[in-house]
Amino acid sequence: MLNDIKVGLLSATSSIKRGNKKTLGFIVFVLALIFMNLVFLPSMIGGVSGMFTAFMQYPYGDIVVEPSGDNTYINNADNVLQKLRAVPDVKAATKRLDVGASIKYKQKVVGSTITGLLPSEEYDVSNYPNIIKEGEFLSDLSRDEIIIGAMLVEGNFGSEIYDNLGGVRVGSFVNVTYSNKVTRTYKVKGIMEGTFELIDLNALVHYKEIEDVFDIDGSKATSVVIRLKSNSDSAKVKEKIIGAGVKEPVSTSDEKSDAILRQAMQSIDMINVVSNFVSLIVGAALILIIIYINVLNRKKEIGILKAIGITPSSIVFSYAFISMFYVSMGILAGLGLYFFLMYYFTVNPITFYDTITIFPEIQVDLIIRSIFTMLIMSVIAGILPAWRVSKQSILEAIWGR
Amino acid sequence: MEKEKTLIKVKNMERHYKSGKGIVKALDNVSFEIKKGEFVAVMGASGSGKTTMLRILGLMDFQTKGEYSVQGLNVEELPEGERTYYRLTQLGYVFQDYALMNEMSALENVYILSLMEGKSKKESIATAQEALDKVNLGDKGNRIPNELSGGEKQRVAIARAIAKKPAILFADEPCANLDTHTSEQVLEVFKTLNKKFGQTIVMVTHESWHTKYVSRLIKLKDGKIISDKKLRG
Repeated sequence: MLNDIKVGLLSATSSIKRGNKKTLGFIVFVLALIFMNLVFLPSMIGGVSGMFTAFMQYPYGDIVVEPSGDNTYINNADNVLQKLRAVPDVKAATKRLDVGASIKYKQKVVGSTITGLLPSEEYDVSNYPNIIKEGEFLSDLSRDEIIIGAMLVEGNFGSEIYDNLGGVRVGSFVNVTYSNKVTRTYKVKGIMEGTFELIDLNALVHYKEIEDVFDIDGSKATSVVIRLKSNSDSAKVKEKIIGAGVKEPVSTSDEKSDAILRQAMQSIDMINVVSNFVSLIVGAALILIIIYINVLNRKKEIGILKAIGITPSSIVFSYAFISMFYVSMGILAGLGLYFFLMYYFTVNPITFYDTITIFPEIQVDLIIRSIFTMLIMSVIAGILPAWRVSKQSILEAIWGR
Repeated sequence: MEKEKTLIKVKNMERHYKSGKGIVKALDNVSFEIKKGEFVAVMGASGSGKTTMLRILGLMDFQTKGEYSVQGLNVEELPEGERTYYRLTQLGYVFQDYALMNEMSALENVYILSLMEGKSKKESIATAQEALDKVNLGDKGNRIPNELSGGEKQRVAIARAIAKKPAILFADEPCANLDTHTSEQVLEVFKTLNKKFGQTIVMVTHESWHTKYVSRLIKLKDGKIISDKKLRG
């Protein structure tokens, strides 16, 4: 076997070293494009997925605790918070109350979800305080103030798609009628823009406001949102939280976004799978054709090699090495091209509506998987034609039959 | 005494080919022996069966009937892997059209077989260099076949065949593509190998003037031996 490999290597090295360089360049170029196709589209899709996952941070933080079963509320949220804050990897946690309401400004009325939150705690948990486009974020004394999403304001991102409150601005007064028919008037303290429907169609008020309106007591919450210390593994912390005695359902933001995006991503993934499959088939066919033509041209030579005592295995090894060399070069060139495009799209991200920017996501595991797939494909595509000819009788090979 | 050792023993060998509805006998009841150190020329017109016979003797093909042994070994019973190994270690070949690997240098073309035998690269190169020196191409080891003349290519092919010091060297019309002068050079190489190193050689040829280099001549006609005589050599 070792001798077969040594002879195969010698034959392959000579063939590559003294073969046609232009042909080699063309083969490598095409294989680079095939590799690029395997990794580029998933990286862009990964960017879209990453963007949505980032949006999930607003309602769910890193980890969220929600009411169990059909319950509307977590009944003793303070008790849950106490348990959570004792978990070492938890940086901060806060409770929220989400309710349905309609907001009215002049003659315009829109339906919205209003989140009651504790403003000073949100600074450590969510990104809400950082996405105030106009005005200011709520303070702990903001009992008669409201933050409204940008989509509710005419002329902002997405406001042409949904009903909006017209010319409402910071300082305007809006009437909010909650689902229990209680109406309150709030002064708009700020407009937030996260360029995502789940945020920009909503509004924020103080947690105490919702408690008052719905006459809730005993520290109830519709969710408890948790921020983890950096570099913490949310899946592991989730287990620790459950271990700490939290009985309500605990989900990581990845799980929540996965649930929400699953259907959409499944469709995109299907396109991706088909695209990858076609690329692989094209790549395999290309290598197969190249090696097959090479083998056909050298059929007589292969026959002679066998006649003088070179084993069929050496011949097969030789073509496998040649094929692997082509593909390795293609992968290297493809990686160069890939990282160049990743850099380009990181510096010049794809932008929708002037505000949504999609950055590509470099997925190391995908790259490694694609490299292995290409290499395995190259070995199979390289070996098959050589194996067929090497199994022929010496005379048939020499005669070129 | 050693020189008289029988290397090849052929008894009632036949080779049949299907041709249309009939069968053609390319070899018909051929029997002979070749002893160590002989330089045998096999002659005959086209279609006389000389190349067919050489291919069977060289373990590239099988006889339809009869017996064939090399060095006392009944080679027809060997499995393919062992036949390949036997070809590699015991038999040398020189083909009409050189049969060199065009992308390998002369040295690589020669040492690939030693590498296949399991020798180290260093040892293989040394052996190949020695073989190239024997055919007066010691200084052209780095050239690829396209950079060599026809005669030089054939001498590289001879070097490849003799580097492993085979028991028998087979040559299938080695001068068919060469001019007279170059043919003489190649035949001189064969003669030297035979006289100086005792190399057993079986050469197929159709040129009668080649016989002045050989020690024995077997003539074939229609697959049968019509004469087998010793020459001055």
